[in-house]
Order: sequence, then C-alpha cells, then structure tokens
Amino acid sequence: MTDDASPLLAVEGLTTAFDTDEGELVAVDGIDFTVEAGETVCLVGESGSGKTVATESITRLIGSPPGRIEGSVRYRGRDLLEMPEPELRTIRGYDIAHVFQNPQEAMNHCYTVGWQIVEALQIHEDVPDAEARGRAIDLLDRVGIANPSARFEEYPHQLSGGQKQRAMIAMALVGDPDLLIADEPTTALDVTVQAQILSLLDELQSEFDMGVLFVTHDLGVVAQIADRIVVMYAGKVMERGDVLDIFERPAHPYTRRLLECIPEVGGSRKGGIPGTLPDPHDPPAGCRFAPRCSHAVEACRTGGQPAEHAVNPGQHASCVHYRSDMDRSVLRDGSREEQPAAGGVSPEDE
Amino acid sequence: MGFGTYVTARVMWAAVVSLIIVTITFLLLAAAPNPEIQRAATQAALQGGDPAEAAERARELRGLDEPIHVRYMDYLQSIYTLDWGWADSRSQPVTTALAEGLYYTAQYSVPWTILTILLGPLVGVYSAANMYSWKDHLATGFAFFGYAIPNFFFGIILLLMFGVWLEVIPVVYDTSVPVFSLANAIQLSIPVFVLVTGSIGAVMRVSRNESAEFQHADFMKTAKAKGVSPLRAYAYHVMRPTLVPLSTTLVGQLLALFLGSSLLVEVVFGIPGLGRVTYNALIAQDTNLVLGSTLAFTFVAVVGNLIEDLVFTVLDPRISYDDR
Amino acid sequence: MGTQRSDRFDEVEWDEISQSRWFEPSKNTLGVVFCTLPLALLGIYDWQVLGERTATFAFLGTEWNLEGIDYLFGFTLVLFAFYVVAPLYQNPRMTRYYWRQFKRNRPAVVSLGWLGVVFVGGLFGPLVVSAPEQSVLTGHQPPVFLSIDAANVATCVGDVVGGRCQGTLQHPLGTTQGGKDVFASIVYGMTISMQIAFITTTIVAAIGVSVGTVSAYAGGWVDETLMRFVDVVLSFPTLLMFLLILYIYGAGLGMFILVFSLFAWGGTARYVRSKSLSVSEAEYVKAGRLTGATTAQVVRRHVVPNTASSIITQLTLLVPGFLLAEAQLAFLGLGDSAVPSWGQLISAGRSDLSFAPWIVLAPGVVLFLTILAFNFLGDALLDALNPEAEAENE
Repeated sequence: MTDDASPLLAVEGLTTAFDTDEGELVAVDGIDFTVEAGETVCLVGESGSGKTVATESITRLIGSPPGRIEGSVRYRGRDLLEMPEPELRTIRGYDIAHVFQNPQEAMNHCYTVGWQIVEALQIHEDVPDAEARGRAIDLLDRVGIANPSARFEEYPHQLSGGQKQRAMIAMALVGDPDLLIADEPTTALDVTVQAQILSLLDELQSEFDMGVLFVTHDLGVVAQIADRIVVMYAGKVMERGDVLDIFERPAHPYTRRLLECIPEVGGSRKGGIPGTLPDPHDPPAGCRFAPRCSHAVEACRTGGQPAEHAVNPGQHASCVHYRSDMDRSVLRDGSREEQPAAGGVSPEDE
Repeated sequence: MGFGTYVTARVMWAAVVSLIIVTITFLLLAAAPNPEIQRAATQAALQGGDPAEAAERARELRGLDEPIHVRYMDYLQSIYTLDWGWADSRSQPVTTALAEGLYYTAQYSVPWTILTILLGPLVGVYSAANMYSWKDHLATGFAFFGYAIPNFFFGIILLLMFGVWLEVIPVVYDTSVPVFSLANAIQLSIPVFVLVTGSIGAVMRVSRNESAEFQHADFMKTAKAKGVSPLRAYAYHVMRPTLVPLSTTLVGQLLALFLGSSLLVEVVFGIPGLGRVTYNALIAQDTNLVLGSTLAFTFVAVVGNLIEDLVFTVLDPRISYDDR
Repeated sequence: MGTQRSDRFDEVEWDEISQSRWFEPSKNTLGVVFCTLPLALLGIYDWQVLGERTATFAFLGTEWNLEGIDYLFGFTLVLFAFYVVAPLYQNPRMTRYYWRQFKRNRPAVVSLGWLGVVFVGGLFGPLVVSAPEQSVLTGHQPPVFLSIDAANVATCVGDVVGGRCQGTLQHPLGTTQGGKDVFASIVYGMTISMQIAFITTTIVAAIGVSVGTVSAYAGGWVDETLMRFVDVVLSFPTLLMFLLILYIYGAGLGMFILVFSLFAWGGTARYVRSKSLSVSEAEYVKAGRLTGATTAQVVRRHVVPNTASSIITQLTLLVPGFLLAEAQLAFLGLGDSAVPSWGQLISAGRSDLSFAPWIVLAPGVVLFLTILAFNFLGDALLDALNPEAEAENE
C-alpha cells in the first residue's frame, strides 16, 4: 500500500523507555519528525541525547522488553509500530535500511563479507546463489571497493575500517531502499575516510532516490549533507528547520551553543556547553535545557518542554522566549549578537 | 604461513608428542623389574632349577640383554608398526583384542559424541537466549548436576533402577544382540545417557556464557536490521561464533570423559569395550595388553588434541597462523 | 569507581600497602617457618627414632600414627593458613569487598559451608570418631530410621520388628557387609579427600607459578621450550599413565597425588605466563625495574599477588577432577587399599546395592555434593574476582 499524500516517514509522539534497576529511563520522549522521499534529514545532538534510540525505534530494532516504544511511526502511511513482526521483517533491510556507527563490530567476524551481503539479499528475494553473488559484487563495486570479487571472499577483519563501512552500505543497498537510516556512519573512521563515505552517501542518495535519516553530533557533517535538521536534547526536540535557516539563524539557545562548538578554520572553538546532560531517570521540569541555559527564566523551569513555536516559515524552536507573550530580545546577547539575522528578516510569530 | 603449512606443523607436533609419551612408557617399563622374568625365576626355583639362569634365559628370550638404545629402537619400531605383541590373557594378538574392544566402545561412543555435539550447544544457546528465566536456571542446574555427579556412581544407581528393579535393561551387557537392533539401543541407552549427562554440562555452560556475549553484539543488530528472523539470527549469527571457543571445550571434554569414565562405565555396565579390555588386562597381569591399551588411549588423546587445534583454526577466520 | 577499585587484589599496588607486606620476610613467612619446624622435627623423630612399626604418639598411649602424607598435609595446611587465610584477615577491607561479591551467589555460600563441614570433619573427625572396624556379625545394619529384612543380617544391633531389623543411632548410616560403620568411613574419607585437595593444589600452584614466571621472564628459547612442554603436559592422558605406573610399580595414595599433580599444572603455568607478561608491561613494574628491583622481586611483589586470585579459582576447579579420579580408581579396586576413601566404600557396597543401598548412596552423595560444591565455589570465585567479565555480560 502506498499513499502518495503521506510523507515517506512520519514519526509522531515517539517515546522509547527502558526498565532499569533505577526505575524507568525515558530515552526518547515524544518526538515528531518527517522524512520526505529523496531528502536528507539530520538528527543532531550531543551523545546521550537519544538520537540512536530514536532511529532504532523506527523499525523496532530495540527489543521489547527491555524497551517500550510508543507513539506512531508511519512509513508510506503504514504504522510500523503496530505492524506484526514478520511483516516488519520484510521492510527491514529492504525498504528501510540501516548503516551503523561502528563498522568494526557491525559485521559478523565468522562470515565472509560476500556471505553477509548475499544473506541480506536472499532474505528478501528468492535469488539463486550465482545471481545473488553477481549482484553483491556489483554493489561492492558501486560503493567503491576495489577488486570487489576478491573482497567478496574475504572476512571482515581483512578489510580496513573504511572498506567495512562501504561494505555495510552495499549491504544496505541490496533492496534499493527508499529510506536509509545512517547512525553516525562516519564517527568511527579517519577524517579522510569520513569525507569519502559522506560523498559516497551523497551520490547514492540521488542515484537511488532515497530518503536519508542521518544521525550525527558533528555539525560539520550536517552542513555538508543535510536538507533539514532536527536538533535533539535529552530525548526532546529543541529545534527543527531547513539547514540554511538553522545555520544562519539558530533560534534555540541550545542550537546556538551547539553551533558555537564547531571549530572554525584558523581559530579555536568558542567553548563547549557548561554542565552535563540531565539524569534521564529524573529529567528536570520545564525545558530540558533550562539548567544549562544562560537565558533561562522562571517560565523555563515549570511545566513540560515548551511547545514548538514557529520562528521562520519551516523553522520551529521549543523555547518559551518565542511565545507571543515573551520578549525574545533577551536572546540577543553573547556571541551571536553581533551577527544580526541575515536579510533583516525578523522572526515572525503566528 | 598458510593453512597447509600450519596443518603440517601441527601434525608433526602431534607425532612428537606421541613419541615423547611412547618414550616415557618405554622408560617406565625398562626401569621396572619385569614381572614375567620374576615369574620365570620363581617357576624355576619351585621346580628345583636355578632361578638366576632361568631369569637370564627369560631375559634373552625377550631381548632384554641387548643394550638399552637397541631395545629402545626395537620398541619404537614395534609400536609404530602396530606390532604390539601377544595378549596372553586372551590368547590373541594385542591389536586384535583392542579391535574387538573398539567394536563395542564405538557402539556407545558414537551416539554419545553425536548427542553431546548436537544438544550441548543448542541447549546452551537456548539458555542464553532465555537468560535468568526458569528455563535457564533449569538448564544450569542440570549442567552442574551432570558434571558433578560421578559417572560410575550415577551408572550404578541407574543400573539398579532400570536393570534390577524395572528390568528394562539387562544387568550385564548382552553381546549376542545385533548392533543395529532395538534391544541393543535399549541396553546402550543408559550408559549413553550417563556419559551425555557428564559431558554435556561443560559444553552447555561454555556455549551459554559465550553466546551471551554474542547475542548482544553489534552484528546481531545488523542482522535484525537486515530483516533476519530471530531464529535464523541465533542459528547463524550466534551459534557460529560460539562454536569457536566451544570447539576447545567440546573436544577436551569428550576426550577427558572417554579416557576416564568410559572405563568405569564399561566396568559398571559390563560392556566388553576398550576400557574393559584394559581393566581385565590389569587384573590378569597381561603386560603386553596393558601397554597396548594404554597406548591406544594415548593415541586417541593425541589425535583428539590435534583435531581440536585444527577445528579451532578452521572455525575462527581471524586466526593468524603466524601466532601459533 | 576510583576508590573502590583499589579494594581489589588485582589493582592494588602492593608496595604501597606498607602495613601488610605479605611477601617481604613478613610475619606470615615467619609463621610458616615457625609452624613447619616442629612438624619437620616430629617427622624426623617418627622416621628415624620410632621406625615403621611404632605409632607416632605411642608415648601418649594412643594408636594415633602419622605417615609421610600426613606431614605433607600438615605443611600445606600451614601454607594455607598463612598465605590464604591470614592475608584475608589482615586486609579486612579487601575481604569485605570479596565477601560482598561472593555472598550474592547463594549456592556458592552453601557450597562453602559444605566444604567447611568436610574440611573440619576431615581434620578433626578422626580424633572424635573411632576408626571403622571390621565386625562380620554386625554387617548390613540399616541406617537409623530405616530397616532391612532380618534375613540379610547376621545379628541385628537394634530391634527386630516384624522380621525387619531396625537401624540404630550406633550406626547412623548403617554398616557395610564387613560390619564397618558407614558414617565413620565417610568421616575418614573426608580426611583423604582433603589431603588430596590440599596437597595436589599446593604442588600444582608451586610448579605452575614457577614455570609460568620463568617462562615469561626468561623469554627466548627457554620460553619456547617450556611452553612446548606445557603442551605435552596438557595433552597427557594422566589416568592411563597412572594405570601403567600402578601396573608396573604399584602405587599408593602418595604416588596418586604426585602423578596427578605433576600433570595438572599446565593451565596454571600458561595463565601465569600471560599474566606476567602483561604485568611486566605495567607502568609500576617498569618503575620498579628502574629503581633496581630484580626479576625475582618483581615476580614476588607484583606477579604473584596479581595472579593469586585467578590461580586460586583455577585450583578450585581442578580439585573435583582429582577427587573424582581417586574415587574412580578406588571403585575399580585399583586405588590404595590401605586408604579408606569414599570410592572404596562405593565399590564395597556395589554387590549389596539391591538390598543395602545406603552403602553406595551415602558416600556417593557425599562425593557428589563435594564435587558440586567445588564447582559452585569456583564459579562464584570466577564472578567475584572478575567484575569486568560480569559487566561484559550485561
């Protein structure tokens, strides 16, 4: 069933919690976002902000128990959270593919690279071995692995980290997926290799016309590939919008601090964010970022996470200062003050 | 170093180990007074002859007057050409006696080994998949019971229950039934059960603990993300890496039991296998047969260790032959 | 974690603990020497003055006699007291940490209790319980609360009710065919089992640690040769070799202990070697080297303490194998006939199993429980001493 009107992936009120010895841990707390066909959405935030849990909740890679996933995740209109496991398995790895952070561990060390790609293919398609082998070698070739038919026979430990991640990408491409979920796919790699993998993913996205959900804490990577950004902090969405808007005019104080952390060419980074992530067992009332926010006022510390207010067309921030009854000028201080909003567009309230 | 070179080196090492053990047996024998010579001397003394002369004759007859290195070379030659002498107590060549024993030993060893190899890892992985559930506790309890209960004691108890009270199995193994018959299967079922209980415990524990590590490995998440079903994921992605560390335990465990408990189990159940041949030879003071059966078990041990190393190397693709 | 970590054996920088220098010419070593001396003197007196026939304590008017193996047992007990028990007492902080880890495993605590019973029974039981004696007339007496058809017993010690002989407290676990008291035999068997456990582990530890450290620190061809030798030892069919030795020379309990411990140290040596190699890479050992510590000092102060916990665990798991082997040989009638071990009792009762099962069951269950207890204990020590492994599994 394909519903052209609905987005490729629509996540609403996604909540993922775990039962632990110290009580319930809510790793992702009611987040919404969408991914349209052919676009790249970046999920950005510090480590521990719940990005990985969120992406692994989409196709229910998180076991339950220990996890508990609520909300709705609609893929082409079909709710993946309600779907029976066997049906969901036909989508995993075929329509929605994953690439993980650590290619060193993501492949089974006891099987050849080729075996593992063929396995992914033959689970979804009834393909004879010889043909599956041919297709796997083609894919290895496509992701830029030299001498693919020799690599097909090799074990993961014989490949370099970059080659392994390329092979993982090849494995993800077996079903010509519509959505690729890439969870920090370059973090564990050398800087030079990172750039190659990023441009490979960029090429493949247009070639396969995939929607990509890209998780990273590296804003430099975001700038390179993202169409839209969703900023997460402590299990909540802080801000969302087009990449240009957010880089030019970050609205939420957290996003601003995050952007300040990017080291600039020829200069030093302007400093990290003081403080640490809140205890996930016992999150603070009000805005999750309030304890670390230099602009926090009393309204930030009561109730739940503030509603998302439109800052620009297509840009929303979950910050009380954008409420119509609040004065947003208090945010105009610090390092970003001397860079007034480009084009003089002043944020408009609804 | 390639795989072929590694195998060659490992086989040669096994040959060296066997040579060392054979040499030890030679030294043990050479250093001891030979009971047969003493017997000849006693015989002569009883019959009024000269015991010293009789002993000398007996020594000459057995070539014991030769210098030690000549005897050693002769000994090696006869051992490695399977010329293991005459078993006086059974009036047949030692090798024939051993072959007859092996015929019966194999009848329970083969099913026992197969059952251990099949069931041990399966139950272990199942236990890990249901860790800390009552199923896991049950399996763990059984594992501990299995390797703590002395096999001969367990055998006696079961023989009392099924042989004496229930009369399901004969009290002494019946050699007259055909190998592939229901009667044979029934009478071997209890000894096989005893041995499987003994060997499976360690195999289960190791596969449980090792697979516990693998079932949470990143590659299991990859497999799930590929659309692999849980059953297939366990069968291929957990079981296969578990077999690598397991291979060392498995062979070791089977060997240890084969070399020790099979002797006891055969004595308890009256199976005329290799263990029983050894035992009877010890009782009957049949030196050639004692030596022969000791060497037979020793070679099994050496070959078993060789197989263990080779299997380990074949199973783990990450092994580098240079390190070993 | 920082402060807690130093509670653990493996993490402690030993020389920093100035008040408890185990391996300096410490009070523990002095204690060992002090206690071994009278033992040795008694041994020499027994051997030289009294000779084979006279009981050691004949001058006290008792029959109590000590043999070679008893002296060895005494020596290992002294070592155990000063190098295992005393350090635990001297480092209460560390002991408490281990105990907290250990007591979470309830079967292991029960096992420790059972082994304590066997240990105390084996050590002091023979002083309290008189040795089982042959008495053909009172054979096949049933255990207390049980009864047996009176036709099977010559004389019933208890009452005969309805043609069945009732068990009495005089023989709480009944008697064998020869009229030996089963309970007393089991208590005397405890002594044998404890002797096997203590002496074998001491020999295994001594050889394993020596070969392992020599191999690690000598390196080169010495290392290669020793490790190849370990390979041979590990693939050696000990039971069969023992049978051969038994056949050619005859062998008692002492020979049994010697042969089995001489072929059981391979695993320990391998472990100590690899641990020594990693310890010698550690910064504090390098620092020790720079300040002029000799290899022997490094081994004594760093390698031995850092590997002690794992060696103890390994040894705990080796003991059941020895006990089982002894029982097997005794059962086959190939053991030391002078030694009243559990295996021998099982063997003795086998022919009467159908009407007097206690003769087999009682020692069999005791043997089973003891082996089980060693396994549980070893498993729990493995967990308690290795928190990393536990964390990995979660």
